Amino acid sequence: MTSRMKRGRGMAASWYGIARTATIDRAGAWAELDDGGTGKVVTGVTEIGEGILTVLAQVAAEEMGIRPEDVTIGDNDTSRAPEAAHAGATRQTYMIGNSVALAAREARDALFEEIADHWDVPVESLRAFNGEIWAEDTNLRMTMEDAVATCKGRGVVPVGSASFTAHGTGLDPVDGSGSPWQAYVFGTQVAEVEVDTWTGEVQVLGIWAAHDVGRAINPRGVEGQIEGGVVQGLGQALMEEYTTEKGHAITHGFAKYILPTSLDIPQINCSIVEDPDPKSPLRAKGIGEPALVPTAPAIMNAIYDAIGVRIKSLPATPERILEALRNHVPGREQIAQSARLERAEAARHQSAKV
Amino acid sequence: MPKLRIEAEVNGRKVNRETEPHKRLLDFLRDDLNLTGTKEGCGAGECGTCSVFVDGKLVKSCLMPAGKASGAKIETIEGLAKPGDLTPMQRAFHKTGASQCGYCIPGMVMAATSALRENPQADIEEIKERLGGNICRCTGYTKIFEAVEIAKGVIAGTVPETALEEDTVDDSFIGANVRRLDAPSKVSGRLKYAADIKMPDMLQMQVLRSPHAHARILSIDTSEAEAMDGVACVITAQDVPGTDGFGVFVHDQPIMARDKVRHVGEAVAAVAAEDLVTARRALSKIKVEYEELPGLFDPGQAMDPGAPVIHDYARDNLIKHIPVRKGDVTAGFAEADLILEDDFTTQQVEHAYLEPEAGIAYVDPDDVVVVISPSQNISHHRHMLAEIIAKPINKVRFIMSPVGGGFGGKEDMIYQGMLALAAMKTHRPVQLNFTREESLIASAKRHPSRVHYRMGVKWDGRVTAIEFDMLSDGGAFGMSSEGVMRKAAILSCGPYEVHNLKVDTRVVYTNNTPSGAFRTFGGMQAQFATESMMDMAAEALDMDPFEIRRVNMMKIGAKTHTQQTLETASLDRVMDAAEQASRWEKGAPRVRGATRKDLNGPDTRQPCTLGARIKKASTDSDESERVA
Repeated sequence: MTSRMKRGRGMAASWYGIARTATIDRAGAWAELDDGGTGKVVTGVTEIGEGILTVLAQVAAEEMGIRPEDVTIGDNDTSRAPEAAHAGATRQTYMIGNSVALAAREARDALFEEIADHWDVPVESLRAFNGEIWAEDTNLRMTMEDAVATCKGRGVVPVGSASFTAHGTGLDPVDGSGSPWQAYVFGTQVAEVEVDTWTGEVQVLGIWAAHDVGRAINPRGVEGQIEGGVVQGLGQALMEEYTTEKGHAITHGFAKYILPTSLDIPQINCSIVEDPDPKSPLRAKGIGEPALVPTAPAIMNAIYDAIGVRIKSLPATPERILEALRNHVPGREQIAQSARLERAEAARHQSAKV
Repeated sequence: MPKLRIEAEVNGRKVNRETEPHKRLLDFLRDDLNLTGTKEGCGAGECGTCSVFVDGKLVKSCLMPAGKASGAKIETIEGLAKPGDLTPMQRAFHKTGASQCGYCIPGMVMAATSALRENPQADIEEIKERLGGNICRCTGYTKIFEAVEIAKGVIAGTVPETALEEDTVDDSFIGANVRRLDAPSKVSGRLKYAADIKMPDMLQMQVLRSPHAHARILSIDTSEAEAMDGVACVITAQDVPGTDGFGVFVHDQPIMARDKVRHVGEAVAAVAAEDLVTARRALSKIKVEYEELPGLFDPGQAMDPGAPVIHDYARDNLIKHIPVRKGDVTAGFAEADLILEDDFTTQQVEHAYLEPEAGIAYVDPDDVVVVISPSQNISHHRHMLAEIIAKPINKVRFIMSPVGGGFGGKEDMIYQGMLALAAMKTHRPVQLNFTREESLIASAKRHPSRVHYRMGVKWDGRVTAIEFDMLSDGGAFGMSSEGVMRKAAILSCGPYEVHNLKVDTRVVYTNNTPSGAFRTFGGMQAQFATESMMDMAAEALDMDPFEIRRVNMMKIGAKTHTQQTLETASLDRVMDAAEQASRWEKGAPRVRGATRKDLNGPDTRQPCTLGARIKKASTDSDESERVA
């Protein structure tokens, strides 16, 4: 084939650590079942765009038997909320999610105790979901609004608090041994590219992204994180490069620092794999950072498949692709050929012995 | 300076006001009319966060002088729907999760609205082209495309309005696509980011930054600036009352340059004044005498004898070295049938969150120093600031304002200290909003890295040994470098159980723009090298790339590179999922693109040629006018 446009595919796998333990991670939260069957959650840090507010509302609602839209989250204030450490490291769902789950559970337990006594049923028989509370195998049922009023009428404000941490060890300074994270996630992405051999331009046409997230609390939010991570990975793979000359930035604005726009976006096909985390109540892990890891190598492997040149220096700009095409020597193919011959030789040797 | 009178219709109401003639339409909307849904992302017409309609046409308001808008009909994000209501487009963004940090979203909603107003039948390719002037850094655009398509159907009446409603929930909220609770505030432009907040009596701060990469500061004379009308205070390192220095692992960065500057763009002094223009003018009156020092720009030379020393405490410029050892690499390589050796490099990458750094500080009635900013680490920042300003912890309060994109880039306390000092000096609220240029040169980047790699493999694909040696450029300050090197080392050799390995990651000081935390924290740089090597090995061994990875992958019970025993491992399922979903055609990675049968499936997009679709659409219709 001598056509100008060449297509190819490549893949890459990856892994990532969740719930940092090398320096002890921790998160605190307070919760209250409030009037009208609503909920209040207070915790130190939340949203940086990833959707954690909604995840926390889902978690609190699930635990407290109310609806996510009825949960108010007070957050992000070092003087008014308990410490939840920082917003990064793919730790929000794991660390703060579990902390909020435990705090909300404690608030619900306080309410359940009162309602069980009020109805004269065992507390274990109580269930609450979506704004209603009921006792199993009975016709006892009321709204959470009434349940909170009943609870308060008995002199109890249903509140809870929790702290969550992850267990592990730091790295040994000599051999690096240690258990730095409580959980690990794995990912694999396949990229399909088209390379214009005249201009060196690479277009990524498809990405298939499979990621283990433990448990997807909000699958659409998980997809959003994967899509955003893939596109940041694509930017780093093909176009983004902050450049300085003796310390002075050359790329001092978005006219020079090139970012992916709507026209650069491949069709992104997400596969969410759920391998629940056995060490935490929510059983979720995380996705924010891991989604980005395999994208650039998958694209580089796809470029190789298309045009036979391996880009080992990111980003694979049109200039670098053209230069690589000009200097292309079929080195790897020779290695592969000799490897096959040697292996065949070894196999013949083996069968001769037998 | 004479004032400029602007008479215009803004969101259906008459506006008749005087303003300063230097203002852009963006400033007039935000500062004079308080319409802060229109955001400033770059000030150069590149990002689209400031998109508005002027006489029905989509315009980047940062490029239009306010005077030009006189007599025009202007529509901003706040005017698309009645107060408290949302348009079908905004509801569709809510439905699909098209807003993440939300900072680009008002502009994106305007561009999407424009796309359908220009051509209600626009196909997805035309929609993409029409959104091409608006950058989103969070979403990967995919959910935005989905939203525009739903809105198109609802507006045209081909899709029922129920498509905009939330999915129903069965028996659990865990695993349900609950719509983002913060989306209505973002798609409507109502959410206030730090730069959108105004406080009574608030001062504006501007920062004098170093023009040199490495220089000794001989003197700073602020007297002329301080004497200017409208200047409330000028601050330098001399104003720090406590122990100066911040950083995630080593507190090596002063609030403002102390005795010397270590990178271009480092803060040297700051002015707080009644307005932005006065603050900017005052900067030019500050006199700084520098003595230039030899610069260090190549991390490869940082540890050479005689190299310039960036920080006195680290004479060899080494910030951190993380070693990981497992098994016996010499034996591992001896066992190998084939040894591959290669080098990989990655570049400096900018976070490019659409919201530039911004913040406000004030001293509250109880003498608490309050800092409002999109900080990703308020807990740590308050500890550091308490030391720096010599106050007890409960007299320092950090509030995290809505973060318009972070990705690790807002973990460093690079400006909050200056705001606190100026607020303490003036007892007035002080605001600082970075320009895009300032954000680019002053904030941390992804560590550029060089990896030297050796991998030994058996003919059956088994990896017997790996030597992994990474050198990273930490730039002028330590920031998150130590942690980034640790994560790079821990994850280095990928999700494979390798019995013999020798991993070293090092990061050094230079006079380049500092490197810091960035989504994956070193994991990406390391695994780019590993995943490239894996494919090169697969080619050499004539194996399918999935197969060579399956031979080596970590399973339950595997020992990681740091010898942690895995109790769960899902790579087998994850690889199966990717292989099946992509309809992967098996074969060694031997440049078989030309003969593959799995290409160009329905789950790929078509390649694009710039401009082709709009041209097609406009020749199809009578309206051939192109939106600027």
